Amino acid sequence: MTKKTAETASFMVRFNQKIYADKGEDKVQWRGKVSHVQGGQELNFTDFNDAAAFIQAQLAALTLDATQDKSTEEQENILKKSYSLFKTFAATGPQFLKETLKDPRKQVANIQEQLSEYGEELLEKVPLDDWRNASKSDFQDIKESISALTKSVATLNKKVDELSKTAPTKTTARKAPAKKVATGVKKTATTAKTPKTKK
Amino acid sequence: MSDLQSQLDQLLIFQKEAPIRFQTLGNFVLWRDGEKVNSKDWGRDKTVQLIQYLISYRQRHALHKEHIMEHLWEEGDDRDFKVALHGVNKMLEPDRPSRTEPMYLERQGVTYQLNLDKVWIDVEAIEKYITIGNEALVDDPACAKKAYKAAIALYQGSYLPNRIFADWTTEEREKSQVLILGAYTVLAELLVNENPMECVRLTQQAIAIDPTWEDAYKIQMQAYIAKGNRPQALKTYQKCADVLDEEYGIEPLPATKNLLKEIEAIG
Repeated sequence: MTKKTAETASFMVRFNQKIYADKGEDKVQWRGKVSHVQGGQELNFTDFNDAAAFIQAQLAALTLDATQDKSTEEQENILKKSYSLFKTFAATGPQFLKETLKDPRKQVANIQEQLSEYGEELLEKVPLDDWRNASKSDFQDIKESISALTKSVATLNKKVDELSKTAPTKTTARKAPAKKVATGVKKTATTAKTPKTKK
Repeated sequence: MSDLQSQLDQLLIFQKEAPIRFQTLGNFVLWRDGEKVNSKDWGRDKTVQLIQYLISYRQRHALHKEHIMEHLWEEGDDRDFKVALHGVNKMLEPDRPSRTEPMYLERQGVTYQLNLDKVWIDVEAIEKYITIGNEALVDDPACAKKAYKAAIALYQGSYLPNRIFADWTTEEREKSQVLILGAYTVLAELLVNENPMECVRLTQQAIAIDPTWEDAYKIQMQAYIAKGNRPQALKTYQKCADVLDEEYGIEPLPATKNLLKEIEAIG
């Protein structure tokens, strides 16, 4: 009889929001707990990178378990592909936050430089001068503005691409649905699947 | 009598008189017409899994047979489902005449759902008690206390503890735990001056569930001060600071630190 290896990993993430005033400034702290349902392991975190690393480690274990019958080389190759799930997240989010926290002024300069590539009109829309003396917590706003701008630029690029492809015919841009944002204590269950393996 | 008080009374009566009652917290037990049913009577584990699944997803109306089977057994066939369903109905209504529709587990085509007007479930009751408690908190604190106490009395432990590795139980386990942590801390806060030792007991219960629940430590410190036990209040702060440092690498919130300063100033 063939034995089926585990192919599902579920994670429960709990976020606990703490809003408080410190030296006259409003602050927000997120305390989180991520649990691996099938394995029972848990991790408390305040930095989401730690939660992502925890999830990644559990998924890697799942992949290794499912590829036990393969050669080390094949196993490494599959594991590498398995890690690609985290590639985008690992390459962008944490680096941006780390750099911002380390040197907010330098990050403002970087943002300014990036924005200048899109022209004066866009620079006017971003109140960079107001941000120069901003505290670290204000950089959350910057991050959100950048994220919104990135989306707008992507939409514009798409539009331009479409126009250049279909010109002179008329095209319409599709409106993206608004994302729902939940606040307060919330929980999320995520499941991930790896290919079925029998041995 | 306030509307909330009357709702609370009705819930308490239903808890006592419902023909079918399920305990899912700390243990899985069925009471049929007031009598505890032997767990061995369930027979196959798939029968138990099916009723536990229907309880876990009771608020999602009309669960499709295929969906249930896929979620529970992956490789289960139609026969498995039929046998488990027959087992559940047999346990809930052992004397039901053949060719009559089940009363507690309702079927519509290939969808199934529990009749919550007739079936009492502890996690469902907890949620309702806490909702009443929250709504009554400002205008009727006596009713709120009664509601929170009713909820806390039902919390006998984690949801379906023998299924902690099954993902379909996770949502309910998390939900009931967060609800009860809130109930413990709100009730404890209501009792700080009225009954400080009960307040300490409640906060200890909350800390036992989640050792990083800072609100519970803060209220416990206040209760010890109300009782005149300054050393114990200081110890509570230290424990809080140690746990937060160990688990998150952070300090307590400014409000908790300020309370420490107030306590230190008492000496």
